[in-house]
Amino acid sequence: MGTFIQLVVDGLSLGSVYAALALAIVLVNQATGLINFAQGGMAVLSAYIAWWFAGLGVPLILAILLSVVVSFLMGAVIERYVMRRFEQGDPDTAVVVTIGLLTLITGVCGWLWTYNNQQFPSLFPLDTVSVFGAAVSVRSIGTTVVIIAIMLLLQGLFLGTKLGLALRAVAVNPQSAAFSGLPVGRLLMVGWGLAACLGAVAGALIAPQLTLTPGMMDTALVYALAAVILGGMSSPIGVVLAAWIIGVLENLAAVYVPFIGYDLKVAVPFVLIFIVLIVRPQGLFGRRSVVRV
Amino acid sequence: MPASSAFFSRRWVRLVIALVIVVAVLLLPLALPEFANQTLARIGVFAVAVLGLNVVMGYTGQVSLGQIFFVGLGAYVTAYGVRNDVNIVLVLLASVLIPGIVGLVIALAAARLGGLAIAMVTIALPIVGVPLAKRLSEFTGGSQGTSARFSDAPEWTGLYDDQWQLYIVILIGGIVFLLTRNLVRGKYGRAFAIVKENEAVASSMGISPYRFKVLAFTIASLIGGVSGFLYMVVVQYTSPETLSFGHSIQLLAAMVIGGAGSIVGSLLGGAYYVLAPQLTNAVDPSLTAVLQGALLLLVLFVLPGGLASLPARLQRLRRRAAGGREHHPGAPPTSSTDVPTPAATKGTQTERHDQS
Repeated sequence: MGTFIQLVVDGLSLGSVYAALALAIVLVNQATGLINFAQGGMAVLSAYIAWWFAGLGVPLILAILLSVVVSFLMGAVIERYVMRRFEQGDPDTAVVVTIGLLTLITGVCGWLWTYNNQQFPSLFPLDTVSVFGAAVSVRSIGTTVVIIAIMLLLQGLFLGTKLGLALRAVAVNPQSAAFSGLPVGRLLMVGWGLAACLGAVAGALIAPQLTLTPGMMDTALVYALAAVILGGMSSPIGVVLAAWIIGVLENLAAVYVPFIGYDLKVAVPFVLIFIVLIVRPQGLFGRRSVVRV
Repeated sequence: MPASSAFFSRRWVRLVIALVIVVAVLLLPLALPEFANQTLARIGVFAVAVLGLNVVMGYTGQVSLGQIFFVGLGAYVTAYGVRNDVNIVLVLLASVLIPGIVGLVIALAAARLGGLAIAMVTIALPIVGVPLAKRLSEFTGGSQGTSARFSDAPEWTGLYDDQWQLYIVILIGGIVFLLTRNLVRGKYGRAFAIVKENEAVASSMGISPYRFKVLAFTIASLIGGVSGFLYMVVVQYTSPETLSFGHSIQLLAAMVIGGAGSIVGSLLGGAYYVLAPQLTNAVDPSLTAVLQGALLLLVLFVLPGGLASLPARLQRLRRRAAGGREHHPGAPPTSSTDVPTPAATKGTQTERHDQS
């Protein structure tokens, strides 16, 4: 029982990191209709920036906040100077552009900071606390709490502020938004900036665990995409729930299903997707086609 | 310029050119040094892989990040078959069919979601594939990888190994290219194009987008399997590294840079896949990924049709420049003035035809 609880809490904390990345993907997708495959790469760059600040002697929490600010600018600049040219065109081309960005950003990280693993300091102490007899790491609890706080903050931003209203308007219908005088271009920049901030948080939270490398987020990106498919593109809460389910299930499967083990647990979310697709042929967020006579 | 394009569009001229190319390709392996032959053979291997990716992505418009998985699967099937002394023709068949079946099953699920879901599902293939290949060490040799020597030149040919291997690649790759070319220019190709253009229109025309997406993905997987077989012919060794995520992205970059939805672009893409890392490594190994990413973005910005569209693009630019100089864009280009009158009028007609 103790192991079980420990696995569930650790799974929730892993799932929270995937959730942060998945929320960033949903944020960009809602505003522009495209999937940003560079989201993981951008998160890695943010983590490197935080690591670099920390190396200069900046306190860790401040270093992470600084990297969040830099990431906001990075996201906005990428939207303005790279993505904007492709946003109106073929969505496939835009996706390939984000893949180009992924290659470029990963390359920049490797070039500036080498491909060696770097130790990233943890924001939370490495102690464990006892929950129902299970030794649960403070880091796992901390990660989950941080993500829940960010989720609430985002929810507040979207539902309670003028900026949130404008962002939602652009997402729902950019043309009508432009007609009502909203600065669509600037709002898209803000959307990309916020997504990059979410990525930065995800990067800072997962880096201590995986150690910092340019390819660190590749697998996390896959989990995040799985969460996006399972949870549905238009539902942030669904995405977070899906990310948690994936995190917990893969952790449990790694221990309780001997064949899967630690190295193959990445396959779990996709087996899950497969089953869901067979049970729900139209897909989780697909429309059922209606025939009218 | 129009005169020269008229010359090249004549049937016998094209036949002669094709014949010259075929003879050159057949004699080339005998004349080139070993290293050049091996490089050409590897270009052929990845040109086939890019061609498969082009079927699903360039022609049908479904972003796939998993093509390398099918290449790796084909390579593993080949290695397994060879090591168990299976007849080589059966090995080839299996290395095509098994990836095809796996691709079919994946597409049946992924194509249901539509939109970018195929991209999101296929990104998992290399990422799941690498640990899976390490785990199934009974078949794959684990992280050590597995090798299979079956493509050494037979005694009776009198050829060197590299020449023999290049001939195999030319023969099998050539057949795949020819079949694919016919496929995408025929009625299936038109159906793919309509699905790519607008799925709703396709449905209203009685073309099921779902069915054609699954078909395109399956064909891409089959072709990926062939590429995997050829990979074993040339490299004779495969490991989980072969199907890594990075290679999958490089393959996609190669397709875009070569030219999406283009047969020639697939060849150029294969050349890019093999030659670009060599070039960037020569410049600065730590800059390889940066240069490749930057190049991919540059091509998307400047030449969205890839290298294959470069001649048409240059011609258009030249024509615009010529038109601008004379201040009457409707007039035939300057080069046709030194050709007799009937040819000149013919030139204008082809020009109008091009523009319409």
